Parts: sequence; C-alpha cells; structure tokens
Amino acid sequence: MGCLCLVEAPVEDKRITLKEAAKLIPDGAHVFWGGFGFQRPPMAFAHELVRQKKRNLTIYTCGSEMDIDILAGAYVASRFELAFFAIEGIGLAPNIQRRIREGAVQIEDYTNLAMALRFLGGALGVPFMPLKSMLGTDLLTKKRFREKKAEVITCPFTGEKVVLVPSVRPDFSIVHVSRVDREGNAQIDGIKGEDVEGARAGKKVIVLAEEIVDTEFIRSQPDQTAIPNIYVDYVVECPWGSYPMMVYNYYDYDLEHIRMYYQQCKTEEGWQKYCEEYITGVEDHMEFLKKIGFERLLGLRAKKPFPY
Amino acid sequence: MERNYAKLGEYSTLELMAVCGARAIKNGEVVFVGTGLPMIAAMLAKRTHAPKAKIVYEAGFIDSNAIDIALSIADSRLGYRASAAIGLIETLGLLLQGGHVDVGFVGAAQIDEYGNINTTYIGDFENPTVRLPGSGGGNDIVSSAKRIVIIMTHEKRKMVKKLDYLTSPGFLTGPGAREKAGLLGGGPSLVVTNLCQMDFDPETKRIRLATIHPGVTLQQIMENTGFDLIIPERVPTTEPPTYEELAILRAIDPHGIYIPRPAQTQQ
Repeated sequence: MGCLCLVEAPVEDKRITLKEAAKLIPDGAHVFWGGFGFQRPPMAFAHELVRQKKRNLTIYTCGSEMDIDILAGAYVASRFELAFFAIEGIGLAPNIQRRIREGAVQIEDYTNLAMALRFLGGALGVPFMPLKSMLGTDLLTKKRFREKKAEVITCPFTGEKVVLVPSVRPDFSIVHVSRVDREGNAQIDGIKGEDVEGARAGKKVIVLAEEIVDTEFIRSQPDQTAIPNIYVDYVVECPWGSYPMMVYNYYDYDLEHIRMYYQQCKTEEGWQKYCEEYITGVEDHMEFLKKIGFERLLGLRAKKPFPY
Repeated sequence: MERNYAKLGEYSTLELMAVCGARAIKNGEVVFVGTGLPMIAAMLAKRTHAPKAKIVYEAGFIDSNAIDIALSIADSRLGYRASAAIGLIETLGLLLQGGHVDVGFVGAAQIDEYGNINTTYIGDFENPTVRLPGSGGGNDIVSSAKRIVIIMTHEKRKMVKKLDYLTSPGFLTGPGAREKAGLLGGGPSLVVTNLCQMDFDPETKRIRLATIHPGVTLQQIMENTGFDLIIPERVPTTEPPTYEELAILRAIDPHGIYIPRPAQTQQ
C-alpha cells in the first residue's frame, strides 16, 4: 500500500461556454475538425461559428458531412484538407458543391489513412508520415493550394517506394466527446475515428462533451480515458451537441431533419432559409434545441442494449 | 444440397448484385466494406456460406455483427456485438496496411479497362462538372487489400477509356505497374454491375467479361461499355439468387433502404 498522505492538487476548472469557445477562433485559423461521418460531429460548434460570422478557416478532417457543409455554406471555411465529404446514404454535400462552383471553397484531397497519419505526425512532433496509399494515382500529382502535397521517396533501408505526407499541427483542435471532467479528461464511447490523434495535434484543444462528469468518475476507470487533460485547454458542456447527427450510447441521428436539410440546401435560397431558421435566427444552442423540441430529442435517445 | 434458384422477375437487379457480392466473400475472410450494397452483401454472406467472415468498417468497428441497416460507416448500428470499436489508424493503418484484410468492397463513379477507379471529379480537374465525395478510405482499401470487389452500375459514361481523375489504383497501366508503383495489395479481382460480372485477364490485367446476368444480352453489355472489354468464347450466365438468399436479404433490409423490394421497383 502506498503512502496515504499524498495531497492532490485542487481540480483545475477548464470549463467555458460554447460562445466563449467559438470566440477563441480567429478568422483565418487552421482547425482540426473532429467526429467521423455521422458520429460525434461538433455540430453545435459549427452553428456557433456561423452565428459569430467567422471567416476563412482552413479545416482539416478525414470524412465529415452536414457539419462542414454548414461551414462552407456560411462562408466560415474556405479551404479544406480532407478525404471525404457527402451526406452519406443520402447524396452529395449540397452547399460545398455550390461553393466550389462559385470558387469560394477549395479542397485538397487526401485519403482517410493519409489524413489520420498527418494528425498523428503533428501529435508526435515529426514533420511527415510515411504510408503505402496514394501511390500511382492522381491524389499524388494533382493539387489545389498546397505548394507540396505529398512526395514519393525510396525507402533508405529497403528500397521500396513510400509516400510521405506532411504532418498537421493546426491552431485549434475541436472534438465532441461522450463525457469529460472539468480538467479535460475525456472519454469517447464507440469508434474514435481520428479524434484521438487529432485532439493531440492542435496547439490549442477545445473538448465539447455531451456531459460533464466528476473527476472521481474518470479517475476510478483511467483506462477509459481517450484524451488526458494534459492535452486539453478548454472544456465545454454541450448536450445534444452533435444533433441531428449521432453520439454513440447517447442518441441516434434525426434522419428526417437531415433529409430536410439535404433537400432544402440544394438551392441557395433553401440554404439561406435553413440557416436563418435554425442557426442565425436562434440565440444559442439551447434555443436551437428548444426549436427542435425536447419531445423529438428524447425520442432519439439510445435504447439499451443498443448504442443507438 | 440442391440449390433452389429464383426465376427471372422474382428478384430485382440490386438483389442479384448483392448476392454476387456476398458470394465473393469466403468463410473466415476479413472483409472491409462501406455502406450501401457492400454492407448488405457482407451481412448476407455472414448469414449464409460465410458465418466466420469478419466485417470491418473503416470508422473503427471491427468484426461487426450489426442487425440494423446503417446509413454511415460511422453509424452506431455497426457497433452492435462488434469485437472492437477503435479508429482509423487501427482499421486503415494496422489492419489494412498491416496486411490483414482479404477482400475490400468499393464503389466507383468511373472505372477504366485496368480497373482504375474515379470517385473524386467528373469533368476536367481545373473546371470540374461535378465534385464527388473523394477517396475517403477507398484509395487506402484498393491500395492494400489482398483483393478488391467493385460494385457499380453499368453505363457507358462510367465504363470509360480514360478516367477524369484516378482516385484508386487498379492495375494502373497494365502488368507489373502496381508492383512498380510500390503498392502492397493484389488489386481488383471482380466487378459486379447490374448487367454482368467481370474479372481481370491474368496476362494483360485488362477487364474481362465473366458472367452475364439472366435476361441480359451481350449486345446490351457492349453498348453500355466505353472501353474494349475482353469477351471469352464461352461466357456463362450468372447464378441467380436462391429463394433462401432472397428471404435472408429481405430480412436484412426490411424497409428497402438500399434494396427497394421488388414490389417497390419498376420490375
């Protein structure tokens, strides 16, 4: 048994509000964007960036959907380095399509593994990462705005061909997780996508969570911590923060709302109407949830033993 | 055991495509799939001849035993009775690039005669007509899985002489090109369309007609293919779905999310 007279430091409180968190992001910032596909996108944070009229962000992600479509639609983000975007199972991302045609958005294409490794490289503090994808394809040779996108080298040890991709060290990392304590120790239920690496790559890290839990809860099961507090600068309590997408063990997606968004945003007028009604026309995230209706939200709650 | 085949008109083309996909999976294999038809095909395989197949979704779900249809590869539905839920470095890096994936399923907006795939741009790169979703994990899968099954619709504008953009590597420019480029995986082995199945000539690495779906003519296939298709002297008819396979398929997707029920289709 160890010495029992250890005095633990008081619990640091990194909590700020969603509004305060979004205010930290300056125009033109480079941002790692967490969540994967329909799982745990920082949707509420996207809404708040739109309300605060942020501009010219560069977004780094693997595969994102309605969340980054909103960032493109509202001219918050002008550049993306990513592997995939769409409204999966429904269609192409309507706003990004339109903004690309206008010339307001540019996309630098990588693969999911390449992007995930770029975040791991940034987190490791090395300038590039090697991989065996992209070889022989236009992903290597065609580029939009990066001066150098990827490079094929001959391995100095084995002589085989390897692709090098540049590491990413963004100004901010934004992740939405299951639960976090006020010091920033975060647990993620279900798949982690590229959030484990992405959260460690950012110079400043903002963790949004479905719920804030007592630090004792985290410390009684430290093996469940996906992001330790050392990496985390700010914590935001943000229930239903991925709605209308999903959070594992918390809630399912609202397919009706996603389909409505997709249909409506096929035209600029439709998107403007959506944005006004659900984003800029409401005061904050809580007002947005009220507008959706709590009865509707409760109907989406995960039904045990299913995580959805 | 005698196989009890359904007759033409008793199944839809999408159902036949899903059955073809399922039959491409061997028992015990590690299978990398996305959503849509590949997911249905893998679920069917696990419920028929390949119960020991392990289905991996790139978002991080490993050995998934989903019982509900998922819309997204990150869908919580895929976590049901999975052996692990990790992340992209695990699935695309350690499992796939590490050499543990037997077969990967992908879709394509365009393919060429060497099985190279485009899922990024339609039209000129500088001034594209349509911006498609991009690689996602597609390029990673096609680069490193031991073999690849492509599932797509068969149209002249999709089976092209020259791709608008090469997203994922088939046999590139022909024999030896994958090896020269440094790619690890075995490349495409089967293309399943609404008209036929195609494989690849081992000598030239060019795409070759393998089986023609029931009720489809060779001329229909020729008219809908924009490149020179190798046509062997004898091309068998695709084995139709059995009644058992159809019953299981319809139970997997009861609401017709990816496979509208025959009553709901035009057929």
